[in-house]
Amino acid sequence: MSSARVNMRPSSKNTLLKVVILGDGRVGKSCLMNRFVSNQFDEHSFHTIGVEFLNKDLNLDDCTYTLQIWDTAGQERFRTLRTPFYRGSDICMLTYAIDDKSTFSNLQMWKNEFLYYADIKENTPFPFIVVGNKSDLSSTEREVSQVEMETWCNENGITSYIETSAKDANNVQEAFRMAVRQWIKLETRADKNEIPFNDTVDLKTKHVEGRTSCCIGSGDE
Amino acid sequence: MSETSESDEVRELFVQDGVLLFSAAASFINFVKSVGTLMITEYSDGTKFIEWKPIDVTVDSDIQDQEWAVVNTVEKRIRTLSGTVPPEHKNRSKYLRISFEDIKSFRISDKSRRLTLNDGKSEPICTYLFQHGNCDHLVGCLKTLVKTVASRRDKHLFIIPDIKDPEHEKIDRSFAELNVCTDSAYAWKLWNNFQERPVVATFEAFAKITDLVYRGPEHREIDADDVKEILNRSITEYESTTTTHSQGDYEVIDVPDLPKRRDFPRGKPLNLEQWLGVQDNEGRIEDSECIKLMIFQGGIVPSLREEVWKYLLDYYPWNCTKIERQKLVSQKNDEYFSMKLQWKTMTKTQEDNFTDYKERKTQIEKDVSRTDRTIDFYAGDNNPNLQILNDILMTYVMYNFDLGYVQGMSDLLSPILHLMQSEVDAFWCFVGFMNKLSSNFDADQVGMKEQLSNLHTILAFIDPDLAAYFDSHDSGNMFFCFRWLLVWFKRELSEEDCMSFWEVLWTGFPCDNFHLLICCAILTEEKRKLMDNNFGFTEILKHINELCGQLNVEKILNDAQGIFYQIKESEQLTDVVRLLLGLPILSNNSFDNHETSPFEESIDASNGSSSSPPKCSVDNVRISPDEVTFEKSLSSNFL
Repeated sequence: MSSARVNMRPSSKNTLLKVVILGDGRVGKSCLMNRFVSNQFDEHSFHTIGVEFLNKDLNLDDCTYTLQIWDTAGQERFRTLRTPFYRGSDICMLTYAIDDKSTFSNLQMWKNEFLYYADIKENTPFPFIVVGNKSDLSSTEREVSQVEMETWCNENGITSYIETSAKDANNVQEAFRMAVRQWIKLETRADKNEIPFNDTVDLKTKHVEGRTSCCIGSGDE
Repeated sequence: MSETSESDEVRELFVQDGVLLFSAAASFINFVKSVGTLMITEYSDGTKFIEWKPIDVTVDSDIQDQEWAVVNTVEKRIRTLSGTVPPEHKNRSKYLRISFEDIKSFRISDKSRRLTLNDGKSEPICTYLFQHGNCDHLVGCLKTLVKTVASRRDKHLFIIPDIKDPEHEKIDRSFAELNVCTDSAYAWKLWNNFQERPVVATFEAFAKITDLVYRGPEHREIDADDVKEILNRSITEYESTTTTHSQGDYEVIDVPDLPKRRDFPRGKPLNLEQWLGVQDNEGRIEDSECIKLMIFQGGIVPSLREEVWKYLLDYYPWNCTKIERQKLVSQKNDEYFSMKLQWKTMTKTQEDNFTDYKERKTQIEKDVSRTDRTIDFYAGDNNPNLQILNDILMTYVMYNFDLGYVQGMSDLLSPILHLMQSEVDAFWCFVGFMNKLSSNFDADQVGMKEQLSNLHTILAFIDPDLAAYFDSHDSGNMFFCFRWLLVWFKRELSEEDCMSFWEVLWTGFPCDNFHLLICCAILTEEKRKLMDNNFGFTEILKHINELCGQLNVEKILNDAQGIFYQIKESEQLTDVVRLLLGLPILSNNSFDNHETSPFEESIDASNGSSSSPPKCSVDNVRISPDEVTFEKSLSSNFL
């Protein structure tokens, strides 16, 4: 994306970010991960049992981020074995399928489950990104409109959202980049507000005034 | 529940009114939720029963009405009597009568208001609710009539040792003749000693019996506190070996070298000639153990699988004739389709008003389309076999709604359906498989946690270094083996390999929980890679996940068998490991699940000639791990 930009800082910096992909079964969590990591798509891949994860480097603004992407089984039954993996997450990707309304309705549940088990302090902004997968499907199959998604995100103070297709490789890279940007943004703000020293990236991002929930439509930055 | 002739003279040893039959076998379904009288009775031939009869006038349809049970307040009445029963009590045909012999344990719950009687498989026979007072009097009476022992795993559970066991009976008799108290406290002490110093204790035990003879009766009294203390101690010991993973302080950590691991090359698969050879003229198989052993050693030739799996998965009983099998198949066929009809005929409104059902249905649809689609049998759009896969799982939901559908089940069914090619046969075989593995799918995943914990226990015994390595690298919870255990390596193996692997495990040879030894075999094989690379939690998980498609079934079976004999022949074998593998045990807490008496086992094992028939159930050893510890250690990876 911006690899040609003049290197303003030491490029050896490598930050490890833990990304958790959550959402109902069959929304395409594993497919998103596999598309992003190995640029492959298998229509008939298995449903995930237990927990899987893959690593992938991502370069953004001359910095390298190693994304450690965690993919878990979605069924309620496996909650107790899934939730311990939420701890220490840097980014949470809430996923639904645009052709299945119920998967969208469950985003709230997933968000709550994540916040609870990841032990995130209340009212602390956390880099969530909402991903509506299967955008390759025809409009007749669509059950969740983009407006609905945006509305939900605004209500929940989430400023990053995107529709993707793991099948067509549409927006998948962008989704992960957007997630990392969101992380950087919040991290930078946290640094300014709290600690004078840090080991995170000093980007030229402008400090955004006000609450995250007020920022509408920054998903396509 | 047994049939006793009506003419027998009956003595009622104990009677209590106002007892609601909460659950019972199907034949008593009409009486479930109705109130009645619970009795302990003794017949003239000396057999004793727990009997329940519905309240006199009410036998028929309106009995089901819950309201009625509440309205009809029965005066509290508890009496212990020993007279013969008045004539009107002689017609006992409507009684739910359970022989003492059938009761292997009972559990008291709900502040002593609920009593559940269990059979030898720890399955509930029936449950009573005590609407007036509680079951303390009844249990008190029961305890004077049979030996009971509090379970160490569940303080509300009481186990009735098998009095039919010849060894036990013998010992009972000798104790009786010696006029030693029949309270089992003394026996407990002996067993405890067996655990601590097997060989010495065996001889000492008999010496002590002599001591008792010469001691006055006043010295023989052993009070209940004693028993409690012994039990407590054994529980504490037990816990310390199983739940302190994170500290790494195992009793077994200083176990000297195990015997050298031997090689067990795979044998030839069971073939048609051998299969027909073991059947008699009418098609019965007398020596099923022999067949299972052959399968354990070499598997089954693929062409014979379809037939033999029906036996291994408890669809066909081994000893049934060809004619009986035909009858069974026709009966099971009807049963299947009537269950299938139940969900097939459900209307949309019904479904909408039945969330639990709908959730299961949706999940099945989602998973079926993602199960083994790379195999020709399930490949392609609108493949009819996917529909069958779906239908079997849906019918299973109706068959066992409590368990319902859990992710992983479609993986277990897929090879079975592919092999059977018949919906009904595949269903009943799947039922058999699920009976072996149902604890994997517990609502709270307790079964899986137990297995992971048990795996750690065994690994710590055979390879303390590796277990300690996992502990010190945030992996003592063994979570990375989750997928292996949940679907028995289905995801790691090709379909063909999976079939030859499962059939070996189904035999139940050479011990309980053999699949945990398989895990140990693979882990010890990977040990160097894991440790030399200094892998942490995530790398271990990744490495183990990536073994998918890399495993050699023959090798892991061979290695696991080698490990089994290393364990079995080890001189330092601990009771915990014995218990997990279903080996004869030295400790004093082995009543449940064991046909042989602890005495016999102790003596047997201390002579070094332990050999008991292997048990088939993989689930019958269920050690409850310290869940909190498990959660903690799982969480601690990310602290």
